[in-house]
Amino acid sequence: MSKMIQFTIDGRQVTAAKGESILQVARREGIYIPTMCYLAKTSPSASCRMCVVEAEGVDGFVLSCNTPPTEGIAITSDSQELYSERQSIMKMYNVNHPLQCGVCDKSGECDLQNKTLDFGLDEQTFAVADQRRDSKVWGVLSYDPHLCIMCEKCTSVCNEVVGSEALFIRPGGYKSEIDNTFSKCIQCGECISVCPVGAMASTDFEYSSNVWELEKVPSACAHCSSACNLTYEKKEKGTATLGAESIYRVTNEDDFDALCGAGRFGYDFENRVSEKDEDAFAIAVSAFENADTIRFNSMISNEEALLLQRLKERFGYRLINKEAKKYQEFLNAFTSVSGSSLYSADLESIRKSDYVVTIGSAVSTDNPMVRFALSVAVNRRKSYMAYMHPIEDEMLRNLVTQYVKYEVGSEEGVLAMLCEMIVDESAKETHKAFFDDLDIGYVSGESNVGEEELELLKKKLVRRDDPVLVIGADLINHSNAVNIAKMAGMIERHSAFSVMIIPPETNSLGVSLICDLDSEEGKSAVGYNVAADFVLSALGDGEGDLDMPALSQQEGTLTNIDKRVVPMNAALAYHGYELNDIANALGMKSEHVIDYTVQLPQESGFSQVRFDDLPNHYTDVGEEVRGYRLAPMVSETSATVDAISDIREFNGSVIYRCDPLMQFNPFTDKAHQIIDEALLRGSEQFAVAARIKDGERVRFTVGEDVYERVFKVDERLKGTVALNPSFDSSENYESYRYNQVKIERV
Amino acid sequence: MSKVYFSTWRGEQISNVGKAEDAWEESAYNLPAQYDDHRESKAFIGWDGVALFDPDVDVVRLATEYAAQYQVYSEACGRCAPGRWGGRILYDLLDKIARGEGTYDDVAHLKEVSKSMQLTSKCEIGKTVPNPLMDLMEHFKDEFDRCIDEQVPSKHYDTEVNYIAKITAPCTDACPAHVDIPGYIEGVRDLRFDESLRATRQTMPLAHTCGRVCPHPCEDACRRTNLDAPIAIMELKRLGADYETDHGFGFFHPAEAKPKGDKKVAVIGAGPAGLTTAYYLALEGVHVDVFEELPVLGGEVAVGVPEYRMPIDKYNQDIEAVRDLGVNFITNSRVSADMMRQYEKDYDAVMVATGTRISKKVRCSNERPELDGYWSAIEMLDQVNLFEKYGIGEEVDLTGKTVVCVGGGFTSMDVVRCSIRANAKKVYMIYRRDEKTIIRNTTYEEYHEAVEEGVEFLFHSAVNNINDEEDVIKSLLIDKFELVPDPDGGRAQLVKIEGESYTIDSDFLIPAVSQSADLDLLPQEWELEMTSWGTIKTNGVHYMTSRKGIFASGDCEYGPMTIVNAVGQAKRAASVMARYMETGEITLTDDEIMEDHLRKMRVYDKKEKVTGWLPGIPREQSEVLEVDERKDNNKEVNYGFTQEQGLSEAERCMRCYYIAMIAQ
Repeated sequence: MSKMIQFTIDGRQVTAAKGESILQVARREGIYIPTMCYLAKTSPSASCRMCVVEAEGVDGFVLSCNTPPTEGIAITSDSQELYSERQSIMKMYNVNHPLQCGVCDKSGECDLQNKTLDFGLDEQTFAVADQRRDSKVWGVLSYDPHLCIMCEKCTSVCNEVVGSEALFIRPGGYKSEIDNTFSKCIQCGECISVCPVGAMASTDFEYSSNVWELEKVPSACAHCSSACNLTYEKKEKGTATLGAESIYRVTNEDDFDALCGAGRFGYDFENRVSEKDEDAFAIAVSAFENADTIRFNSMISNEEALLLQRLKERFGYRLINKEAKKYQEFLNAFTSVSGSSLYSADLESIRKSDYVVTIGSAVSTDNPMVRFALSVAVNRRKSYMAYMHPIEDEMLRNLVTQYVKYEVGSEEGVLAMLCEMIVDESAKETHKAFFDDLDIGYVSGESNVGEEELELLKKKLVRRDDPVLVIGADLINHSNAVNIAKMAGMIERHSAFSVMIIPPETNSLGVSLICDLDSEEGKSAVGYNVAADFVLSALGDGEGDLDMPALSQQEGTLTNIDKRVVPMNAALAYHGYELNDIANALGMKSEHVIDYTVQLPQESGFSQVRFDDLPNHYTDVGEEVRGYRLAPMVSETSATVDAISDIREFNGSVIYRCDPLMQFNPFTDKAHQIIDEALLRGSEQFAVAARIKDGERVRFTVGEDVYERVFKVDERLKGTVALNPSFDSSENYESYRYNQVKIERV
Repeated sequence: MSKVYFSTWRGEQISNVGKAEDAWEESAYNLPAQYDDHRESKAFIGWDGVALFDPDVDVVRLATEYAAQYQVYSEACGRCAPGRWGGRILYDLLDKIARGEGTYDDVAHLKEVSKSMQLTSKCEIGKTVPNPLMDLMEHFKDEFDRCIDEQVPSKHYDTEVNYIAKITAPCTDACPAHVDIPGYIEGVRDLRFDESLRATRQTMPLAHTCGRVCPHPCEDACRRTNLDAPIAIMELKRLGADYETDHGFGFFHPAEAKPKGDKKVAVIGAGPAGLTTAYYLALEGVHVDVFEELPVLGGEVAVGVPEYRMPIDKYNQDIEAVRDLGVNFITNSRVSADMMRQYEKDYDAVMVATGTRISKKVRCSNERPELDGYWSAIEMLDQVNLFEKYGIGEEVDLTGKTVVCVGGGFTSMDVVRCSIRANAKKVYMIYRRDEKTIIRNTTYEEYHEAVEEGVEFLFHSAVNNINDEEDVIKSLLIDKFELVPDPDGGRAQLVKIEGESYTIDSDFLIPAVSQSADLDLLPQEWELEMTSWGTIKTNGVHYMTSRKGIFASGDCEYGPMTIVNAVGQAKRAASVMARYMETGEITLTDDEIMEDHLRKMRVYDKKEKVTGWLPGIPREQSEVLEVDERKDNNKEVNYGFTQEQGLSEAERCMRCYYIAMIAQ
C-alpha cells in the first residue's frame, strides 16, 4: 500500500512516500526550488508557477508543488531554461508593483524583494496601464491590493487551517484581489503571518518599525494550554524612555505552524517595574513566613510550580490551585482505568484524524488550536466531526458534520452512551456492573440525545481508522468528574479512539504533574496572581502587594496540550523581584528559576534536560523540535467505572462560563489590541426568557461571586444558555461551568 | 470540410492567399464558416490555430480581440501569475501595435511573454492563447510590420466587428449538460466544496445523482487520457454534493433566483428532464408547476435506479434543491389529453418530459404480456423501488425463483442485481452480443459487480420461445449466435448457430431491451411530429415540438438515454422557453450557438500530445462494499472517494479550458 517511490532530483537518488510531492521531497533533501505561493501547511494553490522543474522524457515543465513523482523519473530542479522562465515570472510579478519599498512594512523580509534580487532583475522594461484600488482595514488586519501578488496563501490558510472561510478571492484577472466576509473573520492574523509581501499587514504594526530593527526572542505563547511557538519582536521605543524596550509584534513559524489572535496580538501584558521595592519584598517574605497556604493559578511556569512544591515539601505550605487540582484528579482517575499517566492524543492526531468527537468544550474559544486542528482534519481528511455540546456554535458550522445537543448537566450520561457505542467486548466484561446498570432509555430521555443520533454517529464510524475523542472542561469540572474520567480511560484503553483531555488553563497539565495540591486551605494565604491575604501579582497597576514578572518576562517552560515541555524566553527585562528571590530569602538556593528545569519530576514523565539545552526550532520539513515530550508512565489498572448518577436538571436562566474569542485571562485583557469586553452574551431567546434587553446592565450571583454585566444579544447564539466571561478575574475555577442564576436588571 | 481562405487549425497549413476563390484549398475540418442560418463568420480563432473565411479580415485586430477575450476570461480567474499578468500584457501590447503606436521591442516582449505563458500557465487557456496569436504574427508578419513601420492603425481598427467568444474544455464539450467540470474540480482542489457544487449546478442541478450514476461520457474526452488515464470526473462531483448534506447547509444554488414574474410553465413529469426544466426556469423567476403521475418525485431515477446505486436520500436532496426555488410539485397526477389542452391555455409554455416508461418486447414467439411470469423491467423496478425506498406497495420476494432478464443496458443490470437482492435462486442475463459490448454499454464496474454477486451472463444468446403451462412461464428456449465478419468489411453479423439451442427453466422473463414512450397525453388533433422510433420530434437544438409553446426533452424526445442527456436537453430548453415567453421567438444565445459549433467540431483531440505534465500518476479508485456485505441488501455499493483520494485525483486535472472566438 504505502510503497515508496524511488526517483532522482539533480542526479541524487531520493525517495517519496505516498502523497508526497516532488517539492516536498526536494525540501526534505535540502534541494532549493524557488516558490512564491507555496505554504507548507496548506495544500498547494499552484498559482506562482515558480516551482516548475524538468522531468526527463517529458516535454515542457512540470509543476513540482502538486505533482507526485513517478517511479524512476529524473527531475532537474535548475537549468538555464528554468532560470529564465522563473525570471520571467518574477518580471511579471513586478509589473506595476509599487516600488516604494522604503515605506512598506514588509521591506527586509519580503519574498518579492528577495526573489527579485535573487533573479537579478534590476530594471522593469515593460508595464501595463495602472489602476487605482482601495485599501481595506478589517480590524487587526489591513489589506493593500496594490501590493498583493495573489499568491492565495491567505485564503488557503483561512479556509484550510483556521476554518473560517472568511477571506476569499474576488477574481478579476489583472484586477483580482482578496476580500473578506468580515462576519466570519476571527481576527487571528494567520493571513498576515503568511503574506509574502506587504499586502496583508497588521493594522497596529503598520508604519511603526523597519523589521530589521526588531530583535527576535523566540518563546511560547502564555495564553492557553497550546503554548504555541511564537517570536516576540522588540526594540527600544522612542528616545523618551531610553533603554526601555517594547514588544512591537509577534511572529511565528508561519510556514508550518499557526497562531491565534490572542497569541499574535495579545503580547503587551508585561509588568513594568522600574526598580526593586525592598520594603515590599521584606513584607512579602514575612507574609510567606506567616502563611500556611499558597494560592496560585496555572498561569505559571513548570519551574515556579516546582519551586512552590519544594516550598511545600520544606515548609509544609498547603498548595491551593483549584482548577489544576480538578484537572489532576481527572487525569488520575483517567489513568486508573486507561493504565497510562497521560492521554494519548495531541493536536497532530486531531489534524490526522478521520473522525472526531468533541464533548464538553466550546472549542472555538476554549482552545483555538484545537479548532484549527479540527479544520485541518475536516479539510484534509473529510473527518467526520461530531460536536457534542449544549450550545450550538455557528462559527463551527462548516466543520461540524453532526451536532449533538445535550442537556446541561447530562455529560456523564452522554459519555456513558458513547462508551456503550464504542468500547470493545473486553471493556464490557471488565466494567460489567457499569454496563448492566446503564439505562440508555433513561439517559437518552434526560440528556435529550436521541438514540438515533447515536446510531448515526456509530454508522459513520464505519471504515474510520483514526478516531479521536476530545474532552473539554465541562467534563473535568463536572460534579461527577471522577467517574467521567474513568469512562474516558475506558475509551482510551478499550476502543480505537485516542483521547485528548484539554488542559483548561495555560499550564494546568504541568502543575498537575508537578505539584501535590491540597483541597483544604489553611488559616492564612499568600496568593500568586490570585486573591489572598497577601498577593504577588504580575498584572501591575497596584493589583498586588508585590509586583511579579509576567510570563513574557520570565525564562521557564510550560507543559502544553501536546504533552510537550516547551521553553519560554524573557522578551522584556524585569527589574523587580521574582518568586525565586522570595524562595531564596526563605532559604532555598537556586540562583535562577531555570535551575529547576532539570529537576522536574521524572516520575511524572519529565526529562532531565537543562533549560539552556532545550531545542526550539522546526526542521526544513516542518517537524516541531521544541523542548521535549513527556514520557507516559504505564500503571496498573485496578479501578472500574461506577454506575452513573442521576442527571440533574437545569432550568430557568442558565449561564455558561465562556470567554470571548481573543480573551483568555486578565493578561490578554491588558493587551491594547484585544478589545473584547466582559459582557454577558445570550441569544434573543435567552433575552426573552430572562426578560432582559440588549444593552441592559444586569446583576446575578454565581456561588459567592456577584457579577454586574452589560447584557448583549448575540445573533450567532441560539438556545437558552448565555455566555458569562471569566477573563477579567484572576480566580481559577474548579466548579461546573454552567450555573442556574437569577438575573435582575440593575 | 470547410471552405477557408487561410487555416492553421489543428496543425494544417492552408493558405489561399493570392489564389482565385474557386481554386481555394479546403480545410479538412468542420469549421464554423456559417455562424447561424442567417449570418456568416469571417474568422474562427481558437486554442489550436486560426481560420479565416474572408480575405478582408484585419488579422492584427483579430489577434488583439482574441487577447482581449482572454482578458475577459482571466477576469473571471486570475489564478496564476503568468495568466494574470501575461494576459494583460498580451492585450496591451497587441492593441498598441494595432492602433499604430507599436515598436519591434513590443513584438519581442510579446514573444517572450507568450513563451512564458505557454510553458508555465496554470491552465490550458493560458498555455494556448498565444498559439493562434503567434500563427498570425508569423503568417501575416507584413500586416503587423506595416502598423509598426508606418505607425498607422490596422486596416479595420475602427470598424465595428462582432466578436463572439466561448470558453470550453474537452470534458465540458463532451458532457451533454456541458458542466463546468474543470471548475468543480478546482473547487475540490481549493477545498471549497461549496464553490465546487455551485459550479456543477450552473448547468446540472442533479449533482448528487450525476456524481453517482452518470455514464460519464466526459471521461472519454478527458485530455489526461492522452497522458495516462482519465480523471475520475464523475466521482469528484459527489464531494461537493456530499458537503452540502454533511453539514446541513441550505442549498448552494449557482445564483440567486430572480423574483417571481408573471410567467407560468407546466412541466409534465418529475424525472431528470422535468426537474432540470423546473430548476432553471425557477432561477429565471418563472412560476413552475410540475405534474407527476407517480406518488413520488424523481422519475426513473427514483423508481428505476436501485437504492444500492442511487440512495434516495441523496436524490431527494437534488429534488429538494429544485423545490427550494419555489417549484410546485403535484404528484399522483397522470396528465390526460384534456388536461394538456387546458394547460396549453393556462400556461405560457408546456414542457413534456414524460420519459419512456413502456418496456419493449423481446420479440420471441409466444410472447404474451398476460403470461404469468412475464414482467416488464419498468414494472418490476417500480415495485422494487417503491417498496424499498418509500415503503409503498409490496416487497418483491423472489425466493426460490429463477429470473431471466433480456437486455444489456443499465436497466437490465438493475433488474438482475435487484433480483439477486430479492433472494432469487438463479439469475440469468441474456444478451445478444459479447462481454466487451455490455461493458461498453454500461460500465466496467457495473458488469463486474453483477458477476460478483452471482448473475450468470449468457452472451450471444436470444430467447426463441417462451414455454408455458396454462399461461404460467416454465422455461425458455434459447438460441446461440455467433459473430460472422462481413466479407465486405461492414459490421459483423450475428448468425444463429443451428443445433446449439437449449432450454433453461425459468419463472420470470423480464424484458429490458429498451423502452418506448407512453404519449397518450398528447391530443390527437395537435398532430405533433414524431420520430421514426416513436418519440416526440424537435430539432434537437431548441426542443420546441411542431406545436408552438409545447416543448419536449429527455427520453420522450430522444428515446431511452442517460440522465445527463436529459439534463442537457432540458437545460437548453429552459433557456429557450424563458426567452420564448418574453418575446414569442425561438432563439439561441450566442453562447449556445457557440456551444453547438464546438460540439460539432469536437473539442477533444485524442491525438494531441500533452506536454508539461508528468505521466504515470495513477487514477484513484474508490472503495466498494465487499460482495457479501452488499448482495442481500440495499447499502450503497460505492463508498466514494476519501478526501485524500479526492484531492489527489483533483490534482491530476489539467484544467483544459480553451477559448474559441468567431468574428462576424
